[in-house]
Amino acid sequence: MGKVMLEVRDLTTKYITRFREDVYAVDHVSLKVEEGKSLGIAGESGCGKSTLALSLMGYYFPPLYYTSGDIIIDGRNISGMNPDDVRRSILGTEIAYIPQAAMNALNPTQKVIHFVEDVIQAHNPKATKKEIYELASERFHLLGLPPEVLQKYPVELSGGMKQRTVIAVSVILGPKVLIADEPSSALDVTSQKMVIKMLRDLMESGLIKSMIFITHELPLLYNVTDHIMVMYAGQIVEHGAASEAVFDPLHPYSKGLMGSIIVPEAGLREHKLTAVPGVPPNLKKPPSGCRFAERCKYVRPECRGAAVNIREGGVGRTYRCILTESELREVYKNAA
Amino acid sequence: MKAYQKYFTTKLVWFLTTFVFAFLLNFILPRLMPGDPVAVITQRVTQGMTSQSGAQAVYQQYAEQFGTNKPIWEQFFKYVVNVAQGDLGVSFSQYPRPVADILGASIGWTIALQFPAIIVGWLIGNSLGALAAYLKGGFDKVLMPISIFVSNFPAFGMAVIMLVVFGVNLRWFPTSGGYGFDLIPSPTAEFVWSVIVHYQLPFWSIVLISIGGQAIGMRSMAIYELNADYVKYSRFMGIKDWKIIGYVFRNAMLPQITGLALSIGTMVGGALVAEIIFSYPGLGFTLLNGVVGQDYPLISAATLIITVMVLIANFSIEIIYGLIDPRVKAAQAD
Repeated sequence: MGKVMLEVRDLTTKYITRFREDVYAVDHVSLKVEEGKSLGIAGESGCGKSTLALSLMGYYFPPLYYTSGDIIIDGRNISGMNPDDVRRSILGTEIAYIPQAAMNALNPTQKVIHFVEDVIQAHNPKATKKEIYELASERFHLLGLPPEVLQKYPVELSGGMKQRTVIAVSVILGPKVLIADEPSSALDVTSQKMVIKMLRDLMESGLIKSMIFITHELPLLYNVTDHIMVMYAGQIVEHGAASEAVFDPLHPYSKGLMGSIIVPEAGLREHKLTAVPGVPPNLKKPPSGCRFAERCKYVRPECRGAAVNIREGGVGRTYRCILTESELREVYKNAA
Repeated sequence: MKAYQKYFTTKLVWFLTTFVFAFLLNFILPRLMPGDPVAVITQRVTQGMTSQSGAQAVYQQYAEQFGTNKPIWEQFFKYVVNVAQGDLGVSFSQYPRPVADILGASIGWTIALQFPAIIVGWLIGNSLGALAAYLKGGFDKVLMPISIFVSNFPAFGMAVIMLVVFGVNLRWFPTSGGYGFDLIPSPTAEFVWSVIVHYQLPFWSIVLISIGGQAIGMRSMAIYELNADYVKYSRFMGIKDWKIIGYVFRNAMLPQITGLALSIGTMVGGALVAEIIFSYPGLGFTLLNGVVGQDYPLISAATLIITVMVLIANFSIEIIYGLIDPRVKAAQAD
């Protein structure tokens, strides 16, 4: 077992809406990422994936607020730390972030190199422009980006190039944890492949120590990550090794997600895609029992009672359902 | 740099074309006014003269001198040649004073009044707008309604209110003119003080009406930029807030620069109202006199100056824009 790079215990964060309502978008989430490993987070839109990503960085600004729980990066608990200290000593150096919309993540009127200068000088005010340029061009070269990119404005770069530039800038300080929030979802397949290759290279070269990869594309998660966590309505509903979560999901929601993947094959048009009907619950007033009950094909009356806890299912595998593993398998067999 | 040259050339061609059309209109439009200015001058000169043929001869002579008896296209070509040689002609209404002389005496007043007023209004307006966007809350809630109210005030309304309140009721400032009517322009302390005192009301009436609009524009641009993705990303890379605010305001400022250039360009036209109400001896007041006196050469020359100023302001702003905003250059290079 490797060194634990990121450990999150019972993290809860909330949005406070304009009308003073609390929305718990991350609800008692716990996770662990070891050195050299990557964790995938899956789930449909609005289930709390991106909010979790933002919450993990320990840097909150309205309307997102920290409620409770611990975030421990390489043995250092950053929850409850002064935001200024988080900004100075955690962001970029300990934990870095690749935003969802990398297309607009760079200031349009600033050359890439000037942004890199600002990033590095925010953590090391003594760094000279020359040193920064050398570091940046070496790093860009290593990651397969032409160093000329540094002298360009974001508008002069293509979408894929912009995305890879953002990744290269994000990891310039060698963070221990990299959070990639849908880094490839707006790209064409070729650029997507390049982005994925880049992330893998980063892991292999040790430039980043661990990674959290967030996406709604399950096949991608299977290819990139070691473990997969499925989120629903702010909670973890399933967590296990990538192959288990994709090929042998336990929770009915994970099962539904896997069933809604479009795999190109002969006769696809005749094939019926099984989607998960309905929409996620309103988190202003989450349902009292299982949050997935409304949409679950196998729902039972007892599902709507008390809150459902996480239960163990095999080695390093957890899921959130009132049924045991064998009961679930029975249900799936009968349904098939 | 090649893309920029192409950008520059395209813009230049467009502005030259615009200039040609504007020049043509400047010449034609005043001459479409009903009435015969030569007859007015003749009447003035021949007052008391009894001989009908004598008045006729005077009329003929003036018509010959001003060229008004020739077909309009011939007048136009003569005008083009004269303007090209720097000759703006002789004023009808203030005959025999040359137009260049009249405009030369008034343009300085206009620039000295308008330019600082526009700059001050722009700076105050933008700072208030940026603050409102950044501070939000109470400041924003108070500033915005006031800005909207003030910016919708017609220019003459603001000028008249200031005139009545500070000039007539409080008697803090004089109500008209560029300097005391009993003074002769000279570099004495008394004259300079008189100019400063006369300057205040027209100046603040222009500043006040421009603040609101600028503040509203700046506020919405800054709010838009503050919520941009790059702000969030920069924060998560640990960049300090004041640095991010620097990015935001630079970007929010770009459209505001266009507004500044436009108001500098339309300075003379904008001055009209304030100058007329305060009888300020600037270009706007002169233009009004020209229109009243059907003074074709004076109107054409004044509008020509306005045209050229608007064009130069727009052209410089397009050029500067191409330099400071890489997006504009990139869009032009495609």
